[in-house]
Amino acid sequence: MAKGKKQKAKVKTVSSESVSSAKSADSGFVPRIDTEIAGVHFSNPVLTASGTFGYGREFAHLIDLNSLGGIVVKGISAEPMSGNPPPRIYETDSGMLNAIGLQNVGAKRFLEEKLPFLRTLRTRCVVNVFGYSTEDYVRAIEILNAGDGIDAYELNISCPNTHCGGMVYGNDPKLTEEVVTASKRAARFPLFVKLSPNVTDITVLARAAESAGADALSLVNTFVGMAIDIEARTPRVSNITAGLSGPAIKPVALRMVYQVARAVKIPIIGIGGIATPEDALEYIIAGACAVQVGTANFYAPETSLRVVTGIRDYCRRKRVHLSDLIGSLNVSGNMGSSAEQK
Amino acid sequence: MVMMYDETVAVVENRPLTGGHFLLSVHSPRQAQATRPGQFAMVRLLGRSDVLLRRPMSIYDVKPSFKVARLSKTRTRKPGGYSSRLQRPEILQLLYKIVGRGTRLMADLEPGDKVGLIAPLGHGFFAEEYLPEARRADEVLHVAGGIGIAALLLPAKDLARAGIQQRLFFGGRTRADLVALDEFKPLVSGIVLATENGSRGHRGYITQPLENFLLRNRSKTYLLMVCGPWAMLDASVRLARKYGHRCLLSMENRMGCGVGVCLGCCIRVDGIGHGSYQRVCTEGPVFWSEKVIWETENIAKT
Repeated sequence: MAKGKKQKAKVKTVSSESVSSAKSADSGFVPRIDTEIAGVHFSNPVLTASGTFGYGREFAHLIDLNSLGGIVVKGISAEPMSGNPPPRIYETDSGMLNAIGLQNVGAKRFLEEKLPFLRTLRTRCVVNVFGYSTEDYVRAIEILNAGDGIDAYELNISCPNTHCGGMVYGNDPKLTEEVVTASKRAARFPLFVKLSPNVTDITVLARAAESAGADALSLVNTFVGMAIDIEARTPRVSNITAGLSGPAIKPVALRMVYQVARAVKIPIIGIGGIATPEDALEYIIAGACAVQVGTANFYAPETSLRVVTGIRDYCRRKRVHLSDLIGSLNVSGNMGSSAEQK
Repeated sequence: MVMMYDETVAVVENRPLTGGHFLLSVHSPRQAQATRPGQFAMVRLLGRSDVLLRRPMSIYDVKPSFKVARLSKTRTRKPGGYSSRLQRPEILQLLYKIVGRGTRLMADLEPGDKVGLIAPLGHGFFAEEYLPEARRADEVLHVAGGIGIAALLLPAKDLARAGIQQRLFFGGRTRADLVALDEFKPLVSGIVLATENGSRGHRGYITQPLENFLLRNRSKTYLLMVCGPWAMLDASVRLARKYGHRCLLSMENRMGCGVGVCLGCCIRVDGIGHGSYQRVCTEGPVFWSEKVIWETENIAKT
């Protein structure tokens, strides 16, 4: 498949000996699972998703942060934001709704109070950036540019829980191009763009971001949903609508990653309901060269590290390197022949 | 210094009490020993992919294991700290009530079953912060509504050790909600009860006998420690303000993570922090009442 080869080529392969070692390998085969996105090298393809991992330090007592591929910090805006009134979250079947409203300390305090700790880690630091207008995004980036230790930005044009900005940009290809172009021009670090799944055709937005200079795409943010308390006849979350995340969204998010992987040339980071290594591998086979673990961090903080181990074990068992897996979905072959259905 | 552990622990006992309440005891020495009064645990039901999130629960009590308790009895006369070391807590207890799907599943737990526990968490009733206030007061008044009682036993034990006079005001819907009274009896000088249906104690809300008490003892100074539904917290704070007493609140909220990252449990609080919102799981669950802003948005919840 020409398409598949092209996809592999766009991710700079980390290992020059990958092919030969895969062939000559015996039981001592050591797979390479590091990955490179827009020139940023990640020791493994597992990052923690924005808004689910704070500023990293909160989990320092629970897991080895240095074993993560990267940490994407909570969305940062130029000025501090206080967020939405409570209640902000609600659990649903195999998922959760949230409408936090991007409460954050603002770019200046992030640099002063949060980044110094993140800098001490070997793990890559990706800063999620949010604004209400193109000027806001640019202003946040200009402040953050002073931050040594930031490896990349993730432009959040997809938050469903703020009244303007965010998803307004993510819904409109023209606005997407505008904000990505301006942000790319301002950014001192590579720019990932996080897209909203709440669109008719996500490939349109993906292409718009790519043509405006995005270095990579993070797919996807939460799905707009809601829940109602039928006794009180009130919404369960004060914002009325809220973003759905967790295992419930995985099949839909995976489909979007697959579609976009065929539509753009820039690398894709797959996000949506990843709770196991198998989930992550599905995204990688669909075309993602890295993944982010989100909601699972809340209830099982060790998930990301388990995913790393599981990907490595899978690669060893299959005698492949990560780069061989990316976009390796075989759509012509014998479907459903594997007995490993969950 | 934050000290929290993420562990998979074994259920020792899951004892049903009245009114759909249960006392869950798990064997978890590290977490039990690190626990301070007013802190909580995030409980995870293992092997469920439909019920994802952990449930926040007050740590009701910590105890030495049964085996160790027996051992220590025979060794109490040995010199040195040996017996006291043996009596370090190994059992962590959570008092909960069936209110929804998660707690209904918890009720099925049996001895030997495993649960995930992140604990101890949160800024609780820390003696160094309130003891001067408690000593200045004539008495500490614990005010509990329903399952809110679970947050107050450990601080009551702390206060009893410090020789502070205390009294318990405890309200529930029915008498079946008034669990754990035996544990409080040796710690307090008096217990006042209320039930909404009048099946035990005063008929109505507990804040009514509380107000009568404050009215009768106008010349005295009290420190209130309150845990319960929002409406009860609100009423207690009004009374504390009206009669000029200070008041510590242990707040509840839905939580996503319990460790301060999801920002799902924030409530509106005066002062610095994350904007004007602070996290119940991290800056709380215990707040001085004057810090909490009693807007309708904060209240209309339980």
